[in-house]
Amino acid sequence: MTGTTSGTGRHGLSPMTKVEVVVRGEDVRAVEEVFAATGVRGFTGVTGVSGLGHDGYHQGRLLFNDRAVLTLLLTVVPEERADTLIDGLRTLFEERSGVMFVSDVGVSRPEYFR
Amino acid sequence: MSLVAPALGPDAGDDLGATARLVALVRRAAAVLPTSWPLETFIATNPLAGFEDLPFEEAGLRAHGLFGAAPTLPEPTYRRLHAAGTISDDALRWAVGDAVGSATGTVVGSRPQGRPLTLGDLLVADLVHGRVPAPAPVAAQTLAARCDRLLGTEVGRSVDEEASWWVAALVGGRSGGWDPPDLDLGLYRSWRAASGLDRRLPRAVRRLLTAAPADPRHALRAGLDWCADDTTAGTFLQHHLVALPGWASLLHHRGTDALVDYLALRVTLERALVTTVGALDRVTAASGALVPPHTEPVVTGPVRLADALARVGATGADLTPDGRQHILEAFDRLPVDRRPFVWLAAHERGYRSALLGGLRSTEPAPRPAPRHAAVFCIDPRSEGLRRHLESVGDVATFGFAGFFAVAMAYQDAAGGEATPRCPVLVEPRVLLGERPSDGAVERVARDLRGRRVAAGAHDGFHEAKDDLVGPYALADAGGWVAGPLAVARTLAAGTYGRVRAAAGRALVPGSATELTPGLSLTLDEQVLLARVLLTSTGLHQAGARLVLVCGHGSTTENNPYRSALDCGACGGHRGAPNARVAAAVLNREEVRRNLDERGVVVADDTWFVAGEHDTATDEVTLLDQHLVPVSHRADIDDLQRRLGSAGRALAVERAGAFPGGPPRSGPRRTVAAVRRRSVDWAQVLPEWGLAGNAAFVIGPRSLTEGVDLGRRVFLHSYDAEADAGGDALETILTAPMVVAQWINCQYYFSSVAPDVFGAGTKVVHNVTAGSAGVVAGPGGDLCLGLPWQSVGWGGELVHEPLRLLTVVEAPPARIDAVVERNQVLRRLFGNGWVALAAREGPDDSWHERRRDGTWRTWDGSDLQEES
Repeated sequence: MTGTTSGTGRHGLSPMTKVEVVVRGEDVRAVEEVFAATGVRGFTGVTGVSGLGHDGYHQGRLLFNDRAVLTLLLTVVPEERADTLIDGLRTLFEERSGVMFVSDVGVSRPEYFR
Repeated sequence: MSLVAPALGPDAGDDLGATARLVALVRRAAAVLPTSWPLETFIATNPLAGFEDLPFEEAGLRAHGLFGAAPTLPEPTYRRLHAAGTISDDALRWAVGDAVGSATGTVVGSRPQGRPLTLGDLLVADLVHGRVPAPAPVAAQTLAARCDRLLGTEVGRSVDEEASWWVAALVGGRSGGWDPPDLDLGLYRSWRAASGLDRRLPRAVRRLLTAAPADPRHALRAGLDWCADDTTAGTFLQHHLVALPGWASLLHHRGTDALVDYLALRVTLERALVTTVGALDRVTAASGALVPPHTEPVVTGPVRLADALARVGATGADLTPDGRQHILEAFDRLPVDRRPFVWLAAHERGYRSALLGGLRSTEPAPRPAPRHAAVFCIDPRSEGLRRHLESVGDVATFGFAGFFAVAMAYQDAAGGEATPRCPVLVEPRVLLGERPSDGAVERVARDLRGRRVAAGAHDGFHEAKDDLVGPYALADAGGWVAGPLAVARTLAAGTYGRVRAAAGRALVPGSATELTPGLSLTLDEQVLLARVLLTSTGLHQAGARLVLVCGHGSTTENNPYRSALDCGACGGHRGAPNARVAAAVLNREEVRRNLDERGVVVADDTWFVAGEHDTATDEVTLLDQHLVPVSHRADIDDLQRRLGSAGRALAVERAGAFPGGPPRSGPRRTVAAVRRRSVDWAQVLPEWGLAGNAAFVIGPRSLTEGVDLGRRVFLHSYDAEADAGGDALETILTAPMVVAQWINCQYYFSSVAPDVFGAGTKVVHNVTAGSAGVVAGPGGDLCLGLPWQSVGWGGELVHEPLRLLTVVEAPPARIDAVVERNQVLRRLFGNGWVALAAREGPDDSWHERRRDGTWRTWDGSDLQEES
């Protein structure tokens, strides 16, 4: 399974939408549930991501607290389902911390993402 | 049996967008729910954790509007504490000045006798004597509540009763000897199928229920169709969730799909009932949200001023024009509903100033290496044992979270289900199992058979007893022995306990087992574990021949909340397995060699032995003694004697804290009386647990050694000189301190809001729904929080509800750096959930970190920023 951010249609790749969200560890389950409700069939999670946000720095690793650190969740969905997913996540983030990035990508095996 | 309908993935033909939004809406609404844990792994948590993004005061007021739970003690209670001298005038003046952001010494007028009248005089008069309006009633925004307010119906009660019965039945399985039909359909579908035929319901209601959507998602969406926007829908859902917060929290723990099922039941029944009384249009209109008029008169600033002036013997004519303006502005900044928070701050101020004033401010004198060292859990109960053990002599003590850096899932030799033995903040990183020692396989197998016989008899008796029908059969079959046994357990609890322990030993003699971390943990993982434990505490530098790694647990009888008395850092379990693993790792030659290469040197003649402190009896059991080399047997015997003396002294100390005070007899009888509580099945107060907890000290033992902290303080060892980068401090603040804050908040809210966030009296508790929790009496909501006997006795509160003060001996700049890079700490310190005091070393004065991150000296009269 491969993906690229080099734009849709390049190299004969199928256009898809990539949705990335960064949330606190304690909110990962909520995002996963919205993924599931939208029919998302797979995602990638990266725990302990660090960075600087509007409310300050976020430490990337903590020895004994998995919940306080941020997690990046990344999924790719067909374009026709992207709005549904984005709408669900926006509803979630209206009152919970989190950021979301949406971009167009191309994938070589679209059947994995349908 | 499945609790809920098939997981909320999309169905063919389902509206994916609507489903995703519904899941997100429910999840968002449920963020206000307290976290619920099953009884066997009761974990203390902050019931207002969902509000920690807000300042403590705002969170408290928001929660009050939602749950009806008071965020502080009532003002009259604080006033009594003030009258009794527990809250001093100075503390009150400091707290109110801090709250209004003005110097309380500002002169605003003059008294008739010519003495100046200050801002502080009037603010304090308002606090001590001002009118206290009744709290505004909670205006629940469910349709049922609106209907009840409008028509005087009892729709809300009907919905709650139906919902709680069905959740209890489904979570607990067989209930009352009767299986609800179609369990496999899930909560909503099962209920809908049964209710459509329920003759207790009016025909019109049954018809509406039968016509309701069959799918819980569709039903819930239909129940939200009157909501103009997400905000209205979210508020509506939240009020349904907090109507029975115990059951809702339990379902939240299982996932949003369980909550959707539950909410679908509630809103569908509510809708049907409201419709049949003809109120649907009115309660779904915007005006339906109107709160009934609050009949209490508003206490305005001028009224408060007039009252305060009268109290100090002055009139408005005694104020200067500027002074009048000044005081009215101060009242604006301190509305009446915020006054209790000033009282809370004043209450905390007294304790905190006394604590900091009592800590040692001198460098410790050099002393010879002790024969023993001992590291205990940070739990405040360890403070008492450490203090007494040190006074016995030749022991240096340390503090570390009681999981001892072993984030494991543990399976005992009996092969039961593996359970997490680490703080819930972390996922277990390894599975470790207890195994027979070499040459002890047959003996362990025999012991396990004995253990199963004993456990089977015990479980069988209690399962039959807890069942609704079982007791009748049990009385027939076992009454002849149960009756005399009950008499023995009641009238001679101590003797019964000794006999039972002896019988247990006969059936289950001490097995020669061990935990072999080398089979599950890589060498690197073991070295990391050892390094974190040693360098955070400085344990290896004590120079002791024998080092005790001591977990804790609590032995109690007939106590559904027993795991609340066990080790929170071990996931609500006894701490022995973690202590055994840590000791085993620290004794391994390869680990020592690797540590040595990293500059962490453990003397060759040092042996680590695991132990467990029983906090109900203050006895310490040394574990895995069959592994101790001959060279250290005498040290073991010596340590055991010292632990025995310390434990007895601590038991005598604790005896004074039980209702009625200590028995008027010698120490031996007093100790026996304390230990009898542990085996008395009628005893609702086997020990006080962590009641009184109020502070968390991070620093060397020299800071607190010899100071009686009253078993109220979490103690974590920390050597700032060995942690220039702040890594150890970061670990302590982001993990053990967070757990301590949860515990602190659990005790706090169980005390100030016992009816909502406390579990009520144990006397009427019934364990329900398997071991999901307890209900008071025959039914109703699942109880949240701690039982009353954990925080009070009779009608009196024993636990002082104070927020946690974290005290650190480290450079403030290092503390700032750690806080600034961790949102969890910015949130807790910045929103006032935890206070922070620090000093760089013994020669420095204590400073307090304000919520905005600036520091000031602890002395309340000096509000100058220092850095």
